[in-house]
Amino acid sequence: MQFMALIYADETRWDALSDDERQEIYGRYRALSDDAQKAGVMAGGDELGPTRDATTVRVRGDETLVTDGPYAELKEALGGYFLFECDSLDDALDWAARIPAAAHGAVEVRPVHVDPAEQQP
Amino acid sequence: MKYALLIYGDEAGWSELSEEEQAKLRADVMPRWNALFEELGKADPNVGGKELDHGRTAKVVRVVGGERIVTDGPFAETKEVLGGVFLIELPDLDEAIRLAALIPVAETGSIEIRPVQSAGSG
Repeated sequence: MQFMALIYADETRWDALSDDERQEIYGRYRALSDDAQKAGVMAGGDELGPTRDATTVRVRGDETLVTDGPYAELKEALGGYFLFECDSLDDALDWAARIPAAAHGAVEVRPVHVDPAEQQP
Repeated sequence: MKYALLIYGDEAGWSELSEEEQAKLRADVMPRWNALFEELGKADPNVGGKELDHGRTAKVVRVVGGERIVTDGPFAETKEVLGGVFLIELPDLDEAIRLAALIPVAETGSIEIRPVQSAGSG
Protein backbone atom coordinates (compact mmCIF):
# COMPACT_ATOMS: atom_id res chain seq x y z
CA MET A 1 0.00 0.00 0.00
CA GLN A 2 1.03 3.61 -0.49
CA PHE A 3 1.93 6.06 2.24
CA MET A 4 2.49 9.77 1.87
CA ALA A 5 5.28 11.17 4.03
CA LEU A 6 4.56 14.89 4.43
CA ILE A 7 7.64 16.90 5.35
CA TYR A 8 7.19 19.80 7.79
CA ALA A 9 10.16 22.05 8.51
CA ASP A 10 11.03 25.58 9.54
CA GLU A 11 11.44 27.56 6.29
CA THR A 12 13.55 30.28 7.93
CA ARG A 13 16.14 27.57 8.67
CA TRP A 14 16.36 26.71 4.94
CA ASP A 15 16.44 30.39 3.93
CA ALA A 16 19.45 30.93 6.19
CA LEU A 17 21.54 28.17 4.58
CA SER A 18 24.34 28.82 2.09
CA ASP A 19 24.20 27.33 -1.41
CA ASP A 20 26.82 24.74 -0.43
CA GLU A 21 24.78 23.69 2.58
CA ARG A 22 21.67 23.36 0.42
CA GLN A 23 23.52 21.25 -2.13
CA GLU A 24 24.68 18.98 0.70
CA ILE A 25 21.09 18.53 1.85
CA TYR A 26 19.83 17.93 -1.70
CA GLY A 27 22.52 15.25 -1.93
CA ARG A 28 21.13 13.52 1.15
CA TYR A 29 17.60 13.63 -0.32
CA ARG A 30 18.88 12.17 -3.59
CA ALA A 31 20.67 9.39 -1.68
CA LEU A 32 17.45 8.54 0.19
CA SER A 33 15.52 8.65 -3.04
CA ASP A 34 18.04 6.27 -4.69
CA ASP A 35 17.92 3.87 -1.72
CA ALA A 36 14.11 3.87 -1.79
CA GLN A 37 14.20 3.26 -5.54
CA LYS A 38 16.56 0.29 -5.14
CA ALA A 39 14.39 -1.12 -2.36
CA GLY A 40 11.35 -0.81 -4.64
CA VAL A 41 9.46 1.50 -2.27
CA MET A 42 9.83 4.80 -4.15
CA ALA A 43 6.50 5.83 -5.66
CA GLY A 44 7.00 9.57 -6.05
CA GLY A 45 7.87 12.82 -4.40
CA ASP A 46 8.08 16.55 -4.88
CA GLU A 47 9.58 19.61 -3.29
CA LEU A 48 7.08 22.43 -2.85
CA GLY A 49 7.87 26.09 -3.32
CA PRO A 50 7.97 28.22 -0.15
CA THR A 51 4.76 29.26 1.58
CA ARG A 52 5.42 32.89 0.57
CA ASP A 53 4.52 31.72 -2.97
CA ALA A 54 1.32 30.01 -1.79
CA THR A 55 -2.16 31.10 -2.81
CA THR A 56 -5.29 29.93 -1.01
CA VAL A 57 -8.65 29.57 -2.74
CA ARG A 58 -12.07 29.29 -1.13
CA VAL A 59 -15.50 29.33 -2.71
CA ARG A 60 -18.29 30.76 -0.57
CA GLY A 61 -21.64 31.05 -2.27
CA ASP A 62 -20.99 32.33 -5.79
CA GLU A 63 -17.77 34.02 -4.83
CA THR A 64 -14.23 32.75 -5.29
CA LEU A 65 -12.03 34.19 -2.55
CA VAL A 66 -8.32 34.25 -3.30
CA THR A 67 -5.75 35.12 -0.64
CA ASP A 68 -1.96 35.15 -0.64
CA GLY A 69 -0.25 32.74 1.69
CA PRO A 70 -0.72 29.19 2.89
CA TYR A 71 -3.89 27.74 4.42
CA ALA A 72 -2.32 27.76 7.87
CA GLU A 73 0.62 29.82 9.15
CA LEU A 74 2.64 27.23 11.03
CA LYS A 75 6.12 27.48 12.47
CA GLU A 76 6.95 24.37 10.49
CA ALA A 77 5.41 24.39 7.03
CA LEU A 78 4.73 21.63 4.54
CA GLY A 79 7.73 21.69 2.23
CA GLY A 80 7.44 18.50 0.23
CA TYR A 81 6.58 14.84 0.35
CA PHE A 82 7.67 11.36 -0.48
CA LEU A 83 5.29 8.67 -1.67
CA PHE A 84 6.37 5.24 -0.41
CA GLU A 85 5.00 1.88 -1.48
CA CYS A 86 5.36 -0.29 1.65
CA ASP A 87 3.89 -3.47 3.07
CA SER A 88 3.19 -1.93 6.46
CA LEU A 89 2.88 1.36 8.31
CA ASP A 90 5.96 0.43 10.30
CA ASP A 91 8.07 0.12 7.14
CA ALA A 92 6.75 3.50 6.00
CA LEU A 93 7.70 5.01 9.37
CA ASP A 94 11.23 3.61 8.98
CA TRP A 95 11.59 5.26 5.58
CA ALA A 96 10.05 8.50 6.89
CA ALA A 97 12.59 8.57 9.74
CA ARG A 98 15.37 8.59 7.13
CA ILE A 99 14.11 11.84 5.60
CA PRO A 100 16.71 14.46 6.59
CA ALA A 101 14.05 16.90 7.88
CA ALA A 102 12.88 14.33 10.46
CA ALA A 103 15.96 15.27 12.49
CA HIS A 104 14.91 18.92 12.93
CA GLY A 105 11.28 19.14 11.74
CA ALA A 106 8.57 16.49 11.54
CA VAL A 107 7.33 14.00 8.98
CA GLU A 108 3.65 13.07 8.94
CA VAL A 109 2.90 9.65 7.51
CA ARG A 110 -0.55 9.03 6.13
CA PRO A 111 -1.93 6.05 4.20
CA VAL A 112 -3.19 6.92 0.72
CA HIS A 113 -6.91 6.32 0.56
CA VAL A 114 -8.07 3.39 -1.51
CA ASP A 115 -11.70 3.55 -2.50
CA PRO A 116 -13.17 0.07 -1.94
CA ALA A 117 -15.26 0.56 -5.10
CA GLU A 118 -12.11 1.17 -7.16
CA GLN A 119 -10.54 -2.11 -6.03
CA GLN A 120 -13.18 -4.08 -7.89
CA PRO A 121 -11.81 -5.36 -11.21
CA MET B 1 4.86 25.31 -14.15
CA LYS B 2 3.86 22.39 -12.00
CA TYR B 3 1.48 23.15 -9.14
CA ALA B 4 0.34 21.25 -6.07
CA LEU B 5 -3.30 21.84 -5.16
CA LEU B 6 -3.50 20.95 -1.47
CA ILE B 7 -7.04 20.15 -0.35
CA TYR B 8 -7.92 21.11 3.22
CA GLY B 9 -11.32 20.03 4.50
CA ASP B 10 -13.14 19.85 7.81
CA GLU B 11 -13.19 16.18 8.77
CA ALA B 12 -15.27 16.56 11.94
CA GLY B 13 -18.68 16.25 10.33
CA TRP B 14 -17.52 13.54 7.97
CA SER B 15 -16.20 11.18 10.65
CA GLU B 16 -19.50 11.27 12.53
CA LEU B 17 -21.31 9.76 9.57
CA SER B 18 -21.85 6.04 9.25
CA GLU B 19 -20.10 4.21 6.44
CA GLU B 20 -23.41 4.00 4.56
CA GLU B 21 -23.93 7.75 4.92
CA GLN B 22 -20.37 8.42 3.78
CA ALA B 23 -20.88 6.17 0.76
CA LYS B 24 -24.12 7.98 -0.12
CA LEU B 25 -22.51 11.39 0.20
CA ARG B 26 -19.58 10.26 -1.93
CA ALA B 27 -22.02 9.02 -4.56
CA ASP B 28 -23.95 12.32 -4.46
CA VAL B 29 -20.87 14.46 -4.94
CA MET B 30 -19.14 12.02 -7.31
CA PRO B 31 -20.53 13.55 -10.53
CA ARG B 32 -18.91 16.86 -9.56
CA TRP B 33 -15.59 15.15 -8.85
CA ASN B 34 -15.84 13.34 -12.17
CA ALA B 35 -16.48 16.65 -13.95
CA LEU B 36 -13.45 18.05 -12.15
CA PHE B 37 -11.26 15.08 -13.14
CA GLU B 38 -12.30 15.65 -16.75
CA GLU B 39 -11.43 19.35 -16.53
CA LEU B 40 -8.07 18.60 -14.88
CA GLY B 41 -7.33 15.96 -17.53
CA LYS B 42 -8.04 18.50 -20.27
CA ALA B 43 -5.62 20.96 -18.67
CA ASP B 44 -2.90 18.31 -18.18
CA PRO B 45 -3.32 14.73 -19.41
CA ASN B 46 -0.64 13.68 -16.90
CA VAL B 47 -2.38 15.18 -13.87
CA GLY B 48 -1.75 13.17 -10.71
CA GLY B 49 -3.59 13.06 -7.45
CA LYS B 50 -3.80 11.25 -4.15
CA GLU B 51 -6.51 11.12 -1.53
CA LEU B 52 -5.24 10.61 2.01
CA ASP B 53 -6.86 8.54 4.70
CA HIS B 54 -8.48 10.33 7.62
CA GLY B 55 -6.25 12.53 9.79
CA ARG B 56 -6.67 10.18 12.74
CA THR B 57 -4.70 7.55 10.79
CA ALA B 58 -1.72 9.91 10.66
CA LYS B 59 1.52 9.31 12.54
CA VAL B 60 4.23 11.88 13.06
CA VAL B 61 7.87 10.83 12.96
CA ARG B 62 10.74 12.79 14.45
CA VAL B 63 14.32 11.73 14.96
CA VAL B 64 15.72 13.08 18.21
CA GLY B 65 19.30 12.23 19.13
CA GLY B 66 19.31 9.41 16.59
CA GLU B 67 16.15 7.89 18.03
CA ARG B 68 12.91 7.49 16.07
CA ILE B 69 9.98 9.05 17.98
CA VAL B 70 6.49 8.32 16.66
CA THR B 71 3.40 10.17 17.87
CA ASP B 72 -0.21 10.17 16.72
CA GLY B 73 -0.95 12.85 14.15
CA PRO B 74 -1.84 14.78 12.16
CA PHE B 75 1.09 17.17 12.49
CA ALA B 76 -0.95 20.36 12.33
CA GLU B 77 -3.87 20.69 14.75
CA THR B 78 -5.88 22.82 12.37
CA LYS B 79 -9.66 22.80 11.96
CA GLU B 80 -9.30 21.74 8.36
CA VAL B 81 -7.00 18.84 7.61
CA LEU B 82 -5.05 18.00 4.47
CA GLY B 83 -7.12 15.35 2.75
CA GLY B 84 -5.58 15.11 -0.67
CA VAL B 85 -3.49 16.70 -3.35
CA PHE B 86 -3.51 17.20 -7.11
CA LEU B 87 -0.25 17.65 -9.02
CA ILE B 88 -0.75 19.37 -12.32
CA GLU B 89 1.24 21.15 -15.01
CA LEU B 90 -0.43 24.48 -15.85
CA PRO B 91 0.45 27.63 -17.82
CA ASP B 92 -0.05 30.02 -14.90
CA LEU B 93 -1.42 30.68 -11.43
CA ASP B 94 -4.72 32.02 -12.82
CA GLU B 95 -5.47 28.65 -14.35
CA ALA B 96 -4.53 26.98 -11.04
CA ILE B 97 -6.97 29.27 -9.23
CA ARG B 98 -9.75 28.55 -11.73
CA LEU B 99 -9.31 24.78 -11.31
CA ALA B 100 -8.90 24.98 -7.52
CA ALA B 101 -12.28 26.71 -7.32
CA LEU B 102 -13.88 23.72 -9.09
CA ILE B 103 -12.78 21.29 -6.36
CA PRO B 104 -15.95 20.54 -4.36
CA VAL B 105 -14.08 20.92 -1.04
CA ALA B 106 -13.32 24.58 -1.93
CA GLU B 107 -16.94 25.37 -0.96
CA THR B 108 -16.51 24.26 2.64
CA GLY B 109 -12.75 24.12 3.12
CA SER B 110 -9.67 25.64 1.49
CA ILE B 111 -7.42 24.83 -1.42
CA GLU B 112 -3.79 25.87 -1.08
CA ILE B 113 -1.88 26.26 -4.34
CA ARG B 114 1.90 25.81 -4.22
CA PRO B 115 4.38 25.82 -7.09
CA VAL B 116 6.37 22.58 -7.25
CA GLN B 117 10.15 23.08 -7.27
CA SER B 118 11.27 19.80 -8.75
CA ALA B 119 9.36 17.45 -10.95
CA GLY B 120 9.19 13.70 -10.54
CA SER B 121 10.94 11.72 -7.86
CA GLY B 122 14.03 13.93 -7.63
